[in-house]
Amino acid sequence: MRLFWYATMLFLYAPLAVVVLFSFNAANSPARFAGFSLRWYDRLMTNDALLLAFKNSLILGVSSSLIAVVFGAMLGYGMYRFRHWHLHWLVWLIYLPIVMPDVVYGISEMTFFVAMHRNFGIFEPGLSTMILAHVSFQIPFVALLVHSRLLVLDPLLFEACADLYASPLKRLRYFLIPVLWPALLASFLLAFTLSIDDFVISFFTAGPSSTTLPIYIWSAVRKGITPEVNAVAALIIAAVGIAGLAALVYHHVKFRFSHSVKT
Amino acid sequence: MPQPTANGARQASSISIRSLHKAFSSKMTALDGVDLDVQPGEFFTLLGPSGCGKTTLLRIIAGLEQPDRGSISIGGRLLDGVPPHQRSVNTVFQSYALFPNRNVRDNIGFGLQMQRVKRQIIQQRVQAMAEITKVDDLLDRNPEQLSGGQKQRVALARALINEPDVLLLDEPLSALDAGLRGQLQVELQRLQRRLGMTFVFVTHDQQEAMVMSHRMAVLHEGQVQQVGTPQVIYEQPKTLFVARFMGHQNIFAIQQRNEDEIVADFGVLKGRFAAGSHILLREEALSLKAGVVEGHNRLTARVEECLYRGGSTEYRVLCGNARLTVRSHNLGQALFASGQDVTIDVAPEAVAILPG
Amino acid sequence: MQQIAKQTGQLVAIIGPGVLWIIVFLVLPSLYLISIAFLSNDPYGLPQLPLSLHAFRELAGFGLLGWSPGNLYTLGRSLWQATFATILVILISYPIAYYIATRPVHLRPLMLVLIVVPSWTNQVIRAVGWMNLFSPGTPLANLSAMLGFTEPQMGLFPSQFAVVVGMVYNFLPFMVLPLYAAFERLDHAQVEAARDLFATPMRAFVHAVLPQTLPGLLAGTVLVAVPAFGMFVVPELLGGGRSSMIGNLVARQFADGANWPLGAAGALLMILATLLGLYILRRAARRLSSEREMLL
Repeated sequence: MRLFWYATMLFLYAPLAVVVLFSFNAANSPARFAGFSLRWYDRLMTNDALLLAFKNSLILGVSSSLIAVVFGAMLGYGMYRFRHWHLHWLVWLIYLPIVMPDVVYGISEMTFFVAMHRNFGIFEPGLSTMILAHVSFQIPFVALLVHSRLLVLDPLLFEACADLYASPLKRLRYFLIPVLWPALLASFLLAFTLSIDDFVISFFTAGPSSTTLPIYIWSAVRKGITPEVNAVAALIIAAVGIAGLAALVYHHVKFRFSHSVKT
Repeated sequence: MPQPTANGARQASSISIRSLHKAFSSKMTALDGVDLDVQPGEFFTLLGPSGCGKTTLLRIIAGLEQPDRGSISIGGRLLDGVPPHQRSVNTVFQSYALFPNRNVRDNIGFGLQMQRVKRQIIQQRVQAMAEITKVDDLLDRNPEQLSGGQKQRVALARALINEPDVLLLDEPLSALDAGLRGQLQVELQRLQRRLGMTFVFVTHDQQEAMVMSHRMAVLHEGQVQQVGTPQVIYEQPKTLFVARFMGHQNIFAIQQRNEDEIVADFGVLKGRFAAGSHILLREEALSLKAGVVEGHNRLTARVEECLYRGGSTEYRVLCGNARLTVRSHNLGQALFASGQDVTIDVAPEAVAILPG
Repeated sequence: MQQIAKQTGQLVAIIGPGVLWIIVFLVLPSLYLISIAFLSNDPYGLPQLPLSLHAFRELAGFGLLGWSPGNLYTLGRSLWQATFATILVILISYPIAYYIATRPVHLRPLMLVLIVVPSWTNQVIRAVGWMNLFSPGTPLANLSAMLGFTEPQMGLFPSQFAVVVGMVYNFLPFMVLPLYAAFERLDHAQVEAARDLFATPMRAFVHAVLPQTLPGLLAGTVLVAVPAFGMFVVPELLGGGRSSMIGNLVARQFADGANWPLGAAGALLMILATLLGLYILRRAARRLSSEREMLL
């Protein structure tokens, strides 16, 4: 059993490890490791197309996540506040972006944007259409996260606020936003991760000048896989690894804390 | 906003409730024409089983629920359509509803903060209120680090610090264990007497209601059954429901009422009684004598069960066609055994006639 | 009445922007794409009137030159590759989920994170990893050539094998998580009762363990099989022409071999498959309400 676990870990991490390893390869081929070298990373730093892709990814990720957090949080709060109305259509609508096959998702956005552009001159494919598309699949995740946080709150808290002289605006400012703050931060990070990680939908909604990191890697790979691609990928893996480590440490600290309080 | 006077004492407010109706659906009527008057500075209790409408009434006073018909005024001011945050009324909720993201200090100060009181003054008043409610050593804790009793005190402090016209308490003690509950009942009662504030307290526990209240109202199916002091409600219940809810055991339908006697299942009682449907014999006001002793208003009976409870002994006796409960205080006398023939002495003050 | 009108207004103000966004940028585009499936294509492959069912006939293989099985092969391959990958995922996930659920409580979250972390990286990057491993001349490729599975000097990709491995790699967490949830709630008393009643370990598994984990298994199967059927990146990078799937077929119709109506017809098929999967999932979730909490 234990052996099987380690085998699965090997299966899960070997491809990532290989990417990182060969990004330091002095040779040009994944067939052999010819010694440690940083030259591929050097080359990255002077690759303007890549730096542009990196910048595009950041702009896309940050702006779409900000919009999605605002509208998604409102949607999640609406779902909570009107939960007694049994809005089944709303649940379906929210799950639609999550379950839609990404190819179909990307292509329907593309055909839609192309048609709008041809007929009305709006939505020219580029970063702006990518932001529109990304927000549409980020909103449901934010809404569900905020909604699940609200569900564990005592519903009387809202009434306690009103009872203690807080007007609707003050309830938002002094209660709802502070109490949701961790959930909002988590949704922003989730939305950002979704955006940075997305390839298929970006691929179909991108314009000629709005290449993002995943699209850059994709087109580089199509030309043949090089250690330079490995170097970009390794940087992304490192970022994810740090995030994973942070999650683990956070969990560990929280676990310890909750136990020390109880004893 | 009520103006506190220099020494902290303040003008208490009255509440008057007129023909209040509230239905949640065609089948669920919560309040069915409620009229009540609460005096300034009174500890007033709404008593009734769950679903009687007492919590709904409390929520309507707080403004958290809108009545279908009827009106409420506090201190002479009509509150129709006034939202909760503009009412000088505060609530202590059953689940306490402490803000999880604020520590005890900021929970208590929340109401003052919302009213834009200066930070310095908030600090002082929080400190003072925390001392009154005995939570001054907990001010920097978070709500999840508090015990049930501590949360209760914080919730109370958070409401009291605003010096509202009326304080509403929705079964605030029901989640606590029996010992703590008794202690807090006494504290809460003392606090109310000391502050002179109008309290409206909701509970389903008739003992708790009697211990704490100046006056109480018994609610049943959205209607007020009876209003009065604990003593009146207990000793002279007006309806069958009130009598049963207050814990009385010996309630019998009056079969026949003549000018100077009443006939019921247990036998005949002599005397001039008021008109009514039922007769109530208070178990603790009846007394037992050994053997069969003839006399005025004496009923012969046989002991069926004897339950020794320390301070008192409860006897279940068969009397005519009826079973009665008699509680006698254990003052050193011998106990009666089951099967023994006894005589029940019915004093006039042990009898109440239920008009309804 | 007035209060209901006021509340409806508040509802619209609060959820309006989000709902509108999803409708405008997902629902309308999807409906537009579906409508294209019922149009005919112009010489450039773009949609035009009149309405026709031509695209669906084309999807079934009826072209200008008569019937050819190419598209149906692709459909069949999508089904078979997705099924094969799903079965492999189940075979790996079942023992893994059980193993995690039997570890000490404080270790479990860590093990779950270890399972999930690789899926936080990009699909493309994960495929790049396998391309590295499967390239010609790598130890894995040499091994398979030595055993006679592949020609010498050839890599392990592009191939159906590489596509299936890539998909298993992608979808493993989607199966482990619901299965783990099922195992964590396993009523061990039932298992012990079965053992106590002289059931062999195998029979105890079949009668006590399997039924209890079935909802989790079903949920995982839908979560894996449906997206696997519509997979695009993995077959595109790790597979060649002979392992492409319906997602690739659809995408191609909007790129070089433009034929929008045909692509839209394929997309409609994928949407229907997804809805079917969702329907099964909801039925499964209802059988174990706690499972629904986890998924919804």
